[in-house]
Amino acid sequence: MVENVKPPSIPRYFLFLLTLTGILIFIASTFSVVAAMGPAQAADGATVFKEKCVGCHTIGGGKLVGPDLAGVTERRTKEWLTKWISAPDQMLAAGDPTATELFNTYNKIAMPNLQLTPDQVAAVIAYMGSGETTTASSAVALPPGDANAGRAYFVGDLHFANGGPHCMSCHSISGVGSLGGGNLGPDLTINGYSKYGAGLPAFLASPATVTMNAVWKNTPLTPQEQADLFAFLQEASVSQRAPDTLLLIAGLAILGAAALIGLAQLRWSRRLKGVRKPMIERTLAAKKR
Amino acid sequence: MDIRAHVSMVFHLDKCIGCHTCSIACKNIWTDRKGTEYMWWNNVETKPGTGYPTLWEDQDKYKGGWERGKNEKIHLRLHNRLGGLTNLFYNPYLPTIDDYYEPWTYDYENLFNAPEGDDQPTARAISMITGKPMDNIEAGPNWDDDLGGSPLYARNDVNLDELSEGEREQLNEIERVVFFYLPRICNHCLNPGCVAACPAGAIYKRGEDGIVLISQEKCRAWRMCISGCPYKKTYYNWASGKSEKCILCYPRLESGQPPACFHSCVGRIRYLGVLLYDADKIVNCASVPEQDLVAAQRDLIQDPFDPQVIQSARANGVPDAMITAAQNSPVYKFVKKWQIALPLHPDFRTVPMLYYVPPMLPVLAKMENGNYDIAGLDKENLPAMLSSLEKARMPIKYMASMFSAGNVKIVEEVYRKLIAVRIFKRAQKVKDYQPAEVEAALAQGKTNAEEVEAIFRLTSLPTYEERFVVPPLGREISIEALERPLDRKQATGFGIRSQTPKREF
Ligand code: SF4
Ligand code: SF4
Repeated sequence: MVENVKPPSIPRYFLFLLTLTGILIFIASTFSVVAAMGPAQAADGATVFKEKCVGCHTIGGGKLVGPDLAGVTERRTKEWLTKWISAPDQMLAAGDPTATELFNTYNKIAMPNLQLTPDQVAAVIAYMGSGETTTASSAVALPPGDANAGRAYFVGDLHFANGGPHCMSCHSISGVGSLGGGNLGPDLTINGYSKYGAGLPAFLASPATVTMNAVWKNTPLTPQEQADLFAFLQEASVSQRAPDTLLLIAGLAILGAAALIGLAQLRWSRRLKGVRKPMIERTLAAKKR
Repeated sequence: MDIRAHVSMVFHLDKCIGCHTCSIACKNIWTDRKGTEYMWWNNVETKPGTGYPTLWEDQDKYKGGWERGKNEKIHLRLHNRLGGLTNLFYNPYLPTIDDYYEPWTYDYENLFNAPEGDDQPTARAISMITGKPMDNIEAGPNWDDDLGGSPLYARNDVNLDELSEGEREQLNEIERVVFFYLPRICNHCLNPGCVAACPAGAIYKRGEDGIVLISQEKCRAWRMCISGCPYKKTYYNWASGKSEKCILCYPRLESGQPPACFHSCVGRIRYLGVLLYDADKIVNCASVPEQDLVAAQRDLIQDPFDPQVIQSARANGVPDAMITAAQNSPVYKFVKKWQIALPLHPDFRTVPMLYYVPPMLPVLAKMENGNYDIAGLDKENLPAMLSSLEKARMPIKYMASMFSAGNVKIVEEVYRKLIAVRIFKRAQKVKDYQPAEVEAALAQGKTNAEEVEAIFRLTSLPTYEERFVVPPLGREISIEALERPLDRKQATGFGIRSQTPKREF
């Protein structure tokens, strides 16, 4: 027996399907790479704070998603602040006790790495120590929100006035949309209202994470849109559901693969499955008879 | 009339001794590279047998060549346009490597380097695919050589399908063994299935000589040519990701030498020469009903002495030297003038330009009172050679299945003529036939003394120059249609390429 040249036990079109899937995944992933950040700006503490921090923090205006930063320059050393603001993810990963404690206190929402330059970090620390105060960006009372409009914005039936992308291109909420939403951002069923709570409007007004910030800096949501989205995300049907996206996707993938394989079987049911071996087997069998 | 020139071939099967020198010559020159281990652009098969790749003639399996539809037009057996598109990424009719064979070499170093021991060192077979030792070699490119694999292989030969039980019995008359050799290269067809099947348009037929080539730049590895060619004479190089095939040693032809397999052939069975053909007749030639295929193909080939033909050839830009070569062509004589060379499997409708003189010995040898007898008298006291065709040991039907799409009459005519040559020369030298018998043989063979002498001379005593009438191909002139040969003069030194070609493996 020539063991080495077994005809491949996996049908050859499998490889083709595999390649096709690979290509599709590749295309999908290319699309989700988000536009590069804007150019570094002159380090002006107030501007940096307004752009990057107000989504989660106030100075003297009370806690939002993250702590009120009034007096933070006295609470922490400058060195710690610098390290923290520069790379909070690394500090958390390194298990810094203060960082861990903050993480736990604030609903396990990690402060994102804002990719600030050392200049910007220094400037924002100086600004926080300068005695200026800020209020939550949503403190300008939001108009009453309409959950249905919020849903329409989420799925893209309504377009944002400033041209921002609809939420579903990056986020999913279980039960919304037959194919679910995007997977680039977190699933908002568990990472939306139930996690951010009342801090959510501020976040919507000025999203802090690097990816969100890059997208929304130039296309901010109007107060009405913020209110509508908040109302939608707040709805019990959204905020209190268990996520099922993963299962849904897995299920769809399996179904899809099965359908493709079935189709391939049908198309290539009469494919050539080797000539020499079957011929030899046939002849040997005929001889035995 | 649209006359063109074609460098064509004849293999005289009675002379092939099955030595495989031709295959080795080809292998050493063209297919000893990485990725070509399993390829034999020239291979020699034993018939009856299943050949290489196994059962290549079985188009129910491999879907090669053309089929004549109900509308009397031909279409590729492989697929139509839509089918081609849906099969683009997965061609379901490719032979597997097992259907070719797993190529191997031997561990020769062990003969020199083995540590001292009680046993003689051996050179184990090493797979050229896995690099691991192969303890049981199951198949090879000439596995049914001399009927070695007969019980398992030869009996599956598709050409035996039409034979009755009795006819199959004839095959076993002498020592249960009958065979002949069939050397095969690309036929450089006039209606090539490989060209038609290629989705990338990478395969082309050279205008000046008809050589079919695969552009290594344009090939995109779809591998449709491998299915499209009914002779399985294009091969996929797994290392370069391109398909390759016999190039009829065009670099040798262009410098006036015959291809390596022709040059090295021990039995001197191979003839090469130019045929002039009428391109207007190709479509018809490929589309006529089965029994007319050979006649149509003969009709396609034109008389190189006919002034009208010469004029049309000249008008098409065929150089005078090519026309002269066509007039001296041994192929023209065998195929058209004497009509004793036949195309292999005209039923594939690719109009192959390699022709075979069918072998006689396995057909006529008989067993008589425990003796081999190839010329004795039969019961009616007729020379056995004249009457035995009907009871031929290798049934004529078998030959017809290979060489005339089942038309027994054509094969019979060829044999009658070959027998006439045999009897005529035998009467001359051995003097055991009466003049009346010789006359009868010539009449049956529809030939005459002069033609018989000519056939004899070109079969048995041809010189190198008579066997190979290589025309000056004038490639340098032909490429003027596509590029300007003087473009790079005084610019890049040797050669006409803009870059030095790189050898990749
Ligand atoms: S024999 Fe040669 S020319 Fe003819 S179809 Fe096959 S590869 Fe093409
Ligand atoms: S070299 Fe000539 S005689 Fe030998 S196998 Fe090839 S074709 Fe036949």
